[in-house]
Amino acid sequence: MSSLSARLLVSVSVLLLLFFGVTIFVLETAFREAGEQAQEDILDGHLMALLAAAEPAEEGRLGMPPDLFEPRFGNIGSGLYAEIRDAEGAIVWRSRSALGLEIPVGTVPEDGNHLFLEEALEDETPLLTLALAVQWEFPDGELRPFVFKVAESLDSFNAQLGRFRGQLFGWFALVALIMLLSISVLMRRLLQPLRRIETEIGEIEEGRRAALSDYFPSELKGVARNMNLLIESERARSDRYRLTLDNLAHSLKTPLAALRALLDDRGNGEFVVRSNEQINRMDEIVRYQLRKPAASAAGTLVLAPIEVGREIQRLVTGLHKVYRDKNPRIDVDIDSKVRFRGDTGDFLELAGNLLDNACKWCDSRVAIAISSLAGSNKGEGGLVLTVIDDGPGIPAEAADALLQRGTRLDESTPGHGIGLAIVRDIANSYGGTLTITRSQALGGAEITVAIPPNRS
Amino acid sequence: MRLLVIEDDTTLLESLAVQLGEAGYAVEKAADGREGLYQALEFPIDLAIIDLGLPEVSGLDIIREVRRQGKSYPILILTARDRWQDKVDGLEAGADDYVVKPFHFEEVGARVHALLRRSGGWASSMLEAGPVALDLSRQELRVNNAPIELTSFEYKIIEYLMVRAGQVISKTELTERLYDQDFERDSNVIEVFIGRLRKKIDPDNSINPIETLRGRGYRFALERNQTG
Repeated sequence: MSSLSARLLVSVSVLLLLFFGVTIFVLETAFREAGEQAQEDILDGHLMALLAAAEPAEEGRLGMPPDLFEPRFGNIGSGLYAEIRDAEGAIVWRSRSALGLEIPVGTVPEDGNHLFLEEALEDETPLLTLALAVQWEFPDGELRPFVFKVAESLDSFNAQLGRFRGQLFGWFALVALIMLLSISVLMRRLLQPLRRIETEIGEIEEGRRAALSDYFPSELKGVARNMNLLIESERARSDRYRLTLDNLAHSLKTPLAALRALLDDRGNGEFVVRSNEQINRMDEIVRYQLRKPAASAAGTLVLAPIEVGREIQRLVTGLHKVYRDKNPRIDVDIDSKVRFRGDTGDFLELAGNLLDNACKWCDSRVAIAISSLAGSNKGEGGLVLTVIDDGPGIPAEAADALLQRGTRLDESTPGHGIGLAIVRDIANSYGGTLTITRSQALGGAEITVAIPPNRS
Repeated sequence: MRLLVIEDDTTLLESLAVQLGEAGYAVEKAADGREGLYQALEFPIDLAIIDLGLPEVSGLDIIREVRRQGKSYPILILTARDRWQDKVDGLEAGADDYVVKPFHFEEVGARVHALLRRSGGWASSMLEAGPVALDLSRQELRVNNAPIELTSFEYKIIEYLMVRAGQVISKTELTERLYDQDFERDSNVIEVFIGRLRKKIDPDNSINPIETLRGRGYRFALERNQTG
């Protein structure tokens, strides 16, 4: 469960279920007990009334007036029954309502004792019964034992209990629903600032925003501030790093240039040639080492997607200036949706070196095509960049040597300089690949760089 | 041709100035951005060589300011930062080409040559107009395919005029752009050199390659055989 609101909703649902379950149980028990008590009191009343109405009759029996105070005793199957049994269990009197029914004899209480029982008729209709054993003193002064029993069908009571339970469940379900809805609305409101942080980080990644805004609740202000500091320090670190490299390049290469200028004045003796070779070596090492690490920006915290079309246009415009005499035709075919998620400098380095080599080696035509890498979504930055020319191409063995990782600088393809080695290293640092083949379309070199999507 | 070199490393600056001077250019030097910017805006120059990493005012800022003020002479960048980002920035700011340090002087010389030629609208280093052909890379003038011997100053004048074939060049401009340092030279000297050039290129006075426009200056008048 990755979402905070889902976690909260599930936890709250479980808690509500427990709480309402216990509440329903307690309420129902209390209701039933109160109902049963009331039922018992009523039965007790009926019993007392029966006792009052009973009259001794001949042969030691008890008689009842035909019209009892409770009309339900007179209606057949009314649910309220009464009977009087003698000591042997034989029926002495039975209410009209119990006609055709067999009220279970059950347990007979001790003399003078009440006994409530839950019993059932033959058709399993539940009954609450109250039995009272009495010694009836007849006019002849003899005491004879009788058992008075009244029974009330529990059907209507159970139906009432069922209705009560139904209402209880209904209301509680409604309350639970309202509570869950309110909680999810509340959660939405509470989590809004977090969602905003998420959105704003997305915007920062897309380069549409420089930092998180200030309008966060006090609990999140610290997080936002620290996040901004982190982004800022990452940017500053990256800038500082680049500046250091630039300064280093400048301070190493200007003296090399001066040294070479001094040597240029000294003719073409062996000393000059040897020294120039050493300057070349130093220059290549400096160039390679200082340009390569720019690719380490692939690990930078915030990578705004770059519109590759615009950057390629800048390069092509620049190259047209530089190669004005040769004036190669440069065809550009770029899917406008393609983005590069990485350092602009790295992208320019990739495309710039490839295009520059192509312009240098072509006869008159160069073409660059950039499309999304199959399977990558918009904005993730997976792309395939292909540069072709109509020049002599790159020999297969030289290409193989270059493509082997860790090829040493001085072994890199002659003629294509260190440009391709730099392209290879940048592509690798973004998890991408470099392939070198011969172009079917133009006959010269075809160099393809595939960069997988950056799903960080 | 008068060139401006802005480079903060004095050894490199001096070497460049000496070698460019030997190649026949008049050279102005500036060792920092502020001085460089002043010269780039105020001096009569045909091309500027600007280092990007300069103290005081950066090379990029100089280029932008020069272009903003409408100066259209070619600019060659010298850069130690050979990342494409910097090259593209420089080219976008208004530079025309770049050379990455450390360079051989021949490389700079060739770029300067090409830029100057292109600024005159020539596509190749062989400038051909009628029977006159000037090979910029070999600094050789031929008429009807016969080589013509020229002194270094005569060569400078014909190069300046031919690169700008069709344009009127005043005596002052020629003096300013061709003499190193001393602008005060007698303009009669220019007339003398022009006269000598005419005799060498057109001894029978048949093609009249260099026109004199009274009160305005000179113009190389032959139609170009090819254009850039």
